Amino acid sequence: MSKSYDAIIIGGGHNGLTNAAYLARAGKKVLVLERRYVLGGAAVTEEIIPGFKFSVCSYVVSLLRPEIIRDLDLPRHGLEILPLDGTFTPMPNGDYLWRVNDHAKTRRELVRHSRLDAEAYDEFGKEMVQMCRFVKPLLAMTPPDPTSLHPGGLRKFAFLARRFQSLPAEEKYNLVQLMTMSAADFLDQWFETDVLKATMSASGIIGTFLGVRSPGTAYVLLHHYMGEIDGAFRAWGFSRGGTGAISNAIGDAAREAGAEIRMEAPVAKILTRNGRASGVVLQSGEEIHAKIVSSSVDPNLTFLKMLDATDLPAEFLEEVRRYKYRGSSGKVNLALDALPEFKCLPAEASAKAGHHLRGAISISPSVDYMERAYDQAKYGEFSRRPYIDMVIPSLTDTSLAPPGKHVLSCFVQYAPYKLKNASWENRREEFGNAVIDTISEYAPNLKNIIIGKQVLTPLDIEEQIGLTEGNIFQGELSLEQLFFLRPVAGWARYRTPIKNLYMCGSATHPGGGIMGAPGRLAALEILKDLGAH
Amino acid sequence: MTSRDIIVIGAGQNSLVAAFYLARAGHKPLILERRPVVGGAAVAEEFHPGFRASVLEGFHGPLAPAIANDMQLERHGAQFLEGACRLCAPHPDGRALRLHADARKSAEAIASFSKADAAKYIELAETLRSASGLVQDLLLMTPPDIDHPSSADAWNLLGAGRKFRRLGKKNMQRLIRWGPMAAADFVAEFFDTELLRASIAARGIFGAAAGPWSAGTTALLLLRCGAAGLPGVGAAQVRGGADALSNALAAAVQQAGAEIRTNAEVVRILVRDGAVSGIALSTGEEISAKAVVSGADPKRTFLNLLEPVHLAPSFLQKMRHYRSSGAVARVLLTLDGLPAFPALQSLSEAERFDVLASRIHIGPEIDYLERAFDASKYGEFSRAPYLEASIPSLLDPSLAPAGKHVMTIHMQYAPYNLRSTDKGNSQREGTRARLSAEAASQAKAQRLASAPSPSNWPAQRDALADAVIKTVAEYAPDLPSKILARRVITPLDLENDYSLTGGHISHGELALDQLFTMRPLLGFARYAAPICGLFLCGSGTHPGIGLAGASGLNASRQIARSLRRS
Repeated sequence: MSKSYDAIIIGGGHNGLTNAAYLARAGKKVLVLERRYVLGGAAVTEEIIPGFKFSVCSYVVSLLRPEIIRDLDLPRHGLEILPLDGTFTPMPNGDYLWRVNDHAKTRRELVRHSRLDAEAYDEFGKEMVQMCRFVKPLLAMTPPDPTSLHPGGLRKFAFLARRFQSLPAEEKYNLVQLMTMSAADFLDQWFETDVLKATMSASGIIGTFLGVRSPGTAYVLLHHYMGEIDGAFRAWGFSRGGTGAISNAIGDAAREAGAEIRMEAPVAKILTRNGRASGVVLQSGEEIHAKIVSSSVDPNLTFLKMLDATDLPAEFLEEVRRYKYRGSSGKVNLALDALPEFKCLPAEASAKAGHHLRGAISISPSVDYMERAYDQAKYGEFSRRPYIDMVIPSLTDTSLAPPGKHVLSCFVQYAPYKLKNASWENRREEFGNAVIDTISEYAPNLKNIIIGKQVLTPLDIEEQIGLTEGNIFQGELSLEQLFFLRPVAGWARYRTPIKNLYMCGSATHPGGGIMGAPGRLAALEILKDLGAH
Repeated sequence: MTSRDIIVIGAGQNSLVAAFYLARAGHKPLILERRPVVGGAAVAEEFHPGFRASVLEGFHGPLAPAIANDMQLERHGAQFLEGACRLCAPHPDGRALRLHADARKSAEAIASFSKADAAKYIELAETLRSASGLVQDLLLMTPPDIDHPSSADAWNLLGAGRKFRRLGKKNMQRLIRWGPMAAADFVAEFFDTELLRASIAARGIFGAAAGPWSAGTTALLLLRCGAAGLPGVGAAQVRGGADALSNALAAAVQQAGAEIRTNAEVVRILVRDGAVSGIALSTGEEISAKAVVSGADPKRTFLNLLEPVHLAPSFLQKMRHYRSSGAVARVLLTLDGLPAFPALQSLSEAERFDVLASRIHIGPEIDYLERAFDASKYGEFSRAPYLEASIPSLLDPSLAPAGKHVMTIHMQYAPYNLRSTDKGNSQREGTRARLSAEAASQAKAQRLASAPSPSNWPAQRDALADAVIKTVAEYAPDLPSKILARRVITPLDLENDYSLTGGHISHGELALDQLFTMRPLLGFARYAAPICGLFLCGSGTHPGIGLAGASGLNASRQIARSLRRS
């Protein structure tokens, strides 16, 4: 029996830390318990190979909420976002599509593929910004419960209805389509160039077990458009020192505000006394007590592992068990001796040597390619020719690799958590090779320049990072698991059936990505309740 | 040029229903049908000497209750035949699952597969029954005006809202969560038996260009099962085939005071000063009218029958994007005697008769259904398709000579846009192209040349029939030996013969983004077209599924109202 706190936060991921920082700033006595030796959860930087620092899981940043950056004064705590310029898509026929932040350049490039698409592209960008403007307030809003007649909730719905009403007809139309359509169908209405549609639709499937032609993926497309850096929509970037630096910055902000952070302190159980959370027990057996417990880990760990079934209403448990994770992606991190040479655009040929390697490199040559990758995964196989989103952060941030050497970080989809009659243990090598082979088709020199690699299957992500079924968003971003349905209908307001136990992770609205919004919104709700005490 | 009060384009079931109610409201509608027979897609034809069959859907889902009473179809000669068995799903392992109108009876059958599933089936049936009132309301409601909701809209929604609240918190939350889900996930929440999962999930994909893993298919499943009850299939067959029902509807319409002209093809909807002034027939004859009600699908109405100048460019563009590429084909067989399904040998004579007269669902697993769908995504028809076969001549001997039978088969998936089979020009990626505009445009031209197209159907219609027959034969090995003649209806035929744009039997894809206030387009879901005096009443309007004739009924209500105002 040691000293007691106002709040214990389970998990030192970016959401847990954000939650802690906001509570500490409100003068609460806060303790963060992190299972691992590093902070950050999935937003973590590790030196897996001596001299090479990998953003092991999450590798780019865009969704981090500006109000959090402001409130916590993250730049002063070392947060520095470096621009990620453009997306480069090599094609099997030797051509490529290279969109950059420079509008004129991108336009010239698009005209090369289709004059019509070049026109539509600007329109599309404007429309998406409008859509984001509409949806943005939702990201800063605790979801109302449509089944209750609570005046606050009704007011929120009225507010949303009025805003929708006030939209021009065109935007209403686009919005309902984004909420209901598949990314591919949605983009089909705007563009004709296959590779363009394929590359854009990719952001509609990330973190879901859906194909680009599955309804609902258009929303995820929007979700990723929401990214906001210095107010510019759809701007993605690196954080200097890898994504772990973001977690560390938030961690420092929390510490400065008085929060205490303990590493290598895995929580075994959440203590409850007559229906109220009263603290936690560490795996070491140590008991720590607090007024409230806020869990940033996913519902499976929180409710099914850290609590006993007897603590929870049966119906709630049923819903928690039903909540879908379905990890569908893996990660391959490579330490490189030199830069990969894409045969469709060798470094010396490109305008500014290797400039196209400074942005995202997307293996998404056609919509059918993307859909076929999904088809294989549906039946329990990893994609032989997967969708890959690559970045070489060491080009922008030299601190990540020794001089002249580089780190290549590859996000890979699809890799289903459940393989049909096979275990990931003995398929990991094969999976890594499939990825390397796929990239080599476009950059033949890759195999000769690899000096080290880390392959993360969904199983590894589950075991190492603690994300159930390896889902990077702590649960699929599918329509039935969004807003007031996330994670469980009726329990989307960060509270749980157990008094004084809260959720503050990506499994709550507005979901995954290095956004911090769940952590912040949960903190605001917690403070309301603590105030009421 | 003659002048009329209201002209209704097409004599499909929704058109007839709409015309009936307009006539009852004191109007004198003139129905113009392109073909020699009424019924639109709900027709039966003698496709082989002595053999008749419903060309498209042979069973009738529940009619909107009002329609059945108001139009007194029995009195007009419609004789509904209905077996006790609704759906029979044979399994390759030689077993067969039988689902009945009575949930308890179905549960007994399910129990032999899984006791747990039997209990769950009852639970689901109960949930759906409690929600059926709400579903009926939604189906028979005019979608609210999203721009300026009227008090009536508010009232309707309030009514639905009250029914919704009456479901209780748990069911409310479930319905909200279920709507956008994939049918495969939905059935998995209830059942363990793959065969049962697939049979129920099929309600979410029937007629749609979507697979059981496509999000939103649960909404269709719930609408169908909410309206018809589990297993969510229309069960009634009309003596003489689908057109007997159409003829009864027509008789009721005429008695109510409407006039029907067949062999009268409307080729133009005439517009003067922004308002509808009448129509022009293929013969050149023009008929003026105060109002024109189109039972044709939205694309045909707005993109073929109207001069583009009368519509806003943005509206036209959206209409072009309205998804109406079908994935359904039909195969009609004449049989020299009943095929033997080994899976049914254990049944008594009477039981077997009952089963064969119902829908025979072929699609034993979710993955089987999804694989069937996969092919269509790349412009190929399923080699192992999802089928629903029936032998209507069992309940209705008038359809075939004594001792002989007809089998009708609904086949999915047969994509309207079909890839050519000769590999030569199909999807060949150009070899290293120069990075120039020409190269890109060349590559594009090449792609377009090999792009899937309905023009490839005539060459593959027989391959399709073979695949279908082969698949049925896996469950009834002696079927091929019993076939006397066959007729294949491809999506292209559906478009050409029944003027269904894109060959879609529901006048447009049944997907979340094309339902309710979004059917056919957001802001135009209230049956009135953006041209004064022009209205829609076909399946391309809400609800489009669930209750037969509901679109026509809803439309007539709106039309009568707006005609009173003007």
